[in-house]
Amino acid sequence: MKQFLTVLKFELNNYFKNKSFVLTTIVLMVLAAGIIALPGLLMGRDDSSSVSGGAESGAAAEETDGTVALFDKNGNISDPAAFGEAMGMNIEWVICTDSAQVEDAVNEGNAEAGFIVEDLLHYTYVVENRSMSDTLQSAFSQAAAMSWRAQTLTEEGLDPAEIESLYQVQPQYETQILGKDSAGSYAYTYMLIMILYFLLIFYGQMIATSVTSEKSNRAIEILVTSVDSNSLIFGKVLAGAIAGLIQCVLILGSAVGTYQIFRESWGGLLDNVFDIPVPVWAAFGVFGMMGYLLYAFCFGMLGALVSKTEDISKASMPVLMIYIISFFIAIMGLNDSNSLLVRAASFIPFTSSNGMLIRISMGSVEMWEIIVSGALLAVFCVGAGILAAKIFRFGTLMYGNPIKFTTALKKIREK
Amino acid sequence: MKLEVKELRKSFGDKEVLHGISFSIESGKALGLLGRNGAGKTTTIRILMDVFRANSGSITVDGRPFHPRNFRIGYLPEERGLYPKKGVQEQLMYLAQLRGSSRADAKEQSMRWLKRLGVEEYAQRKLETLSKGNQQKVQLAQTLVCDPELVILDEPFSGLDPVNSQILKDVIQEQIEEGKLVIFSSHQMSYVEEFCEDIVLINHGDIVLSGNLDQIKREYGRNRLVIGLGPDYQEPEQVLRDYMGDLLRIVGSRKDQVIAEMKEGCTREFLLREFLERKLIPEEFGNYEPSLTEIFVEKAGDQA
Repeated sequence: MKQFLTVLKFELNNYFKNKSFVLTTIVLMVLAAGIIALPGLLMGRDDSSSVSGGAESGAAAEETDGTVALFDKNGNISDPAAFGEAMGMNIEWVICTDSAQVEDAVNEGNAEAGFIVEDLLHYTYVVENRSMSDTLQSAFSQAAAMSWRAQTLTEEGLDPAEIESLYQVQPQYETQILGKDSAGSYAYTYMLIMILYFLLIFYGQMIATSVTSEKSNRAIEILVTSVDSNSLIFGKVLAGAIAGLIQCVLILGSAVGTYQIFRESWGGLLDNVFDIPVPVWAAFGVFGMMGYLLYAFCFGMLGALVSKTEDISKASMPVLMIYIISFFIAIMGLNDSNSLLVRAASFIPFTSSNGMLIRISMGSVEMWEIIVSGALLAVFCVGAGILAAKIFRFGTLMYGNPIKFTTALKKIREK
Repeated sequence: MKLEVKELRKSFGDKEVLHGISFSIESGKALGLLGRNGAGKTTTIRILMDVFRANSGSITVDGRPFHPRNFRIGYLPEERGLYPKKGVQEQLMYLAQLRGSSRADAKEQSMRWLKRLGVEEYAQRKLETLSKGNQQKVQLAQTLVCDPELVILDEPFSGLDPVNSQILKDVIQEQIEEGKLVIFSSHQMSYVEEFCEDIVLINHGDIVLSGNLDQIKREYGRNRLVIGLGPDYQEPEQVLRDYMGDLLRIVGSRKDQVIAEMKEGCTREFLLREFLERKLIPEEFGNYEPSLTEIFVEKAGDQA
């Protein structure tokens, strides 16, 4: 135990003294806080400009959304200014007397676009270059359709405002959820799955590299004669897992803390992301972390099979593929947390970290299922750790080409 | 403490590389494991250190099975390596703590050895920034930092310059004087002769010679004499053959001296009288004591 703690402390120090680790953590913390704080900071700036810029408010009010040429052949748009308001825009109209004038205005840059109106349901939109974000035409269409409806209703002797108000009616309702609110839990479940994904992608490789580097720098012979290989592998892998978790907590903490300050600016929009219920935290702590450890041990095992750090990426592909399958099952499961696929995945140790997390967070699950799945995952986790230690010990002096996993297993069994 | 190795056998695949190695050594003594490249020295040491498992045989300490983890062992492997990107003292402390030292002891011992080896100013530097010679000193420091009961050194002099070799010799001598049990392998016979009481010569996985070095040398020198005739004789070997060929067989030469073996029934006293009677007065006449290199070449060199 003392040796394990010594290895754990040494390896943790390796992470915490690593400049790129510290720098990445700080940058991600600042980035997370920055993204959360951005709307609040922008709104704050807008507010201050509106307060301090009293003298400019008149000028701001006169600002237009653009200059638009208009040739209304049959006089369907009697009040262009009101029509612009109906479009939801403050448009400066250039009234033209024929189609050519509209085209000239657009060509010469006197107008950003132009409309040649036959009647309210037929018009030509004239524009020099149409951008992806051009909303002028759709706004014009909506306003034209609204005007046409109003004209038609008036002709029929009906009050257009009354009819319009009928369309604006919204039913008042209350929701009483007896089970789980998948819509509400979707955001934080998705976030937790993504956290696990990134933890594995980043730390899996780092753990494998940490194990392989003992072989590549030839320190392995001194190490295996000084410390039990179980202590060594468990210490290394757990250090990687703890470092990853600490980094994750710091970044998430920075985001949550900033959100608490700028919550008003978001209008509580991210409450669903950060307001995670205790059972879901517990599921993440148990299944997420055990699943993370299981894969971390697999990466440690892969690190023990190779002796050059450049071989790690190739060797780690099979494990990454398994995790990516688990990840896709999880993403699909977010839409149907009680599907057969998710239920099956929640019992398979390599997929249960995500599968059971989704079921606990969004679906329905029995306690016995949680216990069985958790026990299976724990057994696999410890088994993978012991196997990784055996492979590490077996591969001690095997420098050169990567050892095949099956060869290593065979040799270990022979021993 | 007495370490006994009995009938160690080890195979890699179908090939047996150790065919029953046996030797013993006690605290306060140094045992030299000698042999040519590929003889089985490193394999024997790795079995001692539990890096490899022997197919058969036993290793005991004072009659009890030897488990390396139960002892403080200073091990310098043939494949040298530490953490190039870690601080020198930091990694020495780490290795000392893994071998059972407390943090305070590890700190004290690591600085003591760095001072003893003259590299204390590099304690906080990364290992990779040190010269090769200083890195070798750090390797030696890691071997001894846990205050070991057993010191096992695999080719310790390999790659050392004369100054570092002298430092290492002094350190090993100190360890022996402090009552440590020292085992080391080497090709360099001069070092072995300097502080080994016992040697084990391994050749192709077999022990071809073992025992007390002085006794071995005496045994090899028995019936052999070193005879110097002086500068007046241009071809001393031929002269001896001509004058004393009935009593001596010439087996070699060292500079101006001739190494000769007395034929059966001949004694030193008789031989001296015959020299005088035959009017051949040797300037030098003494017992021949072979160097370890000569014994090594004779025992292991003919099977190349």
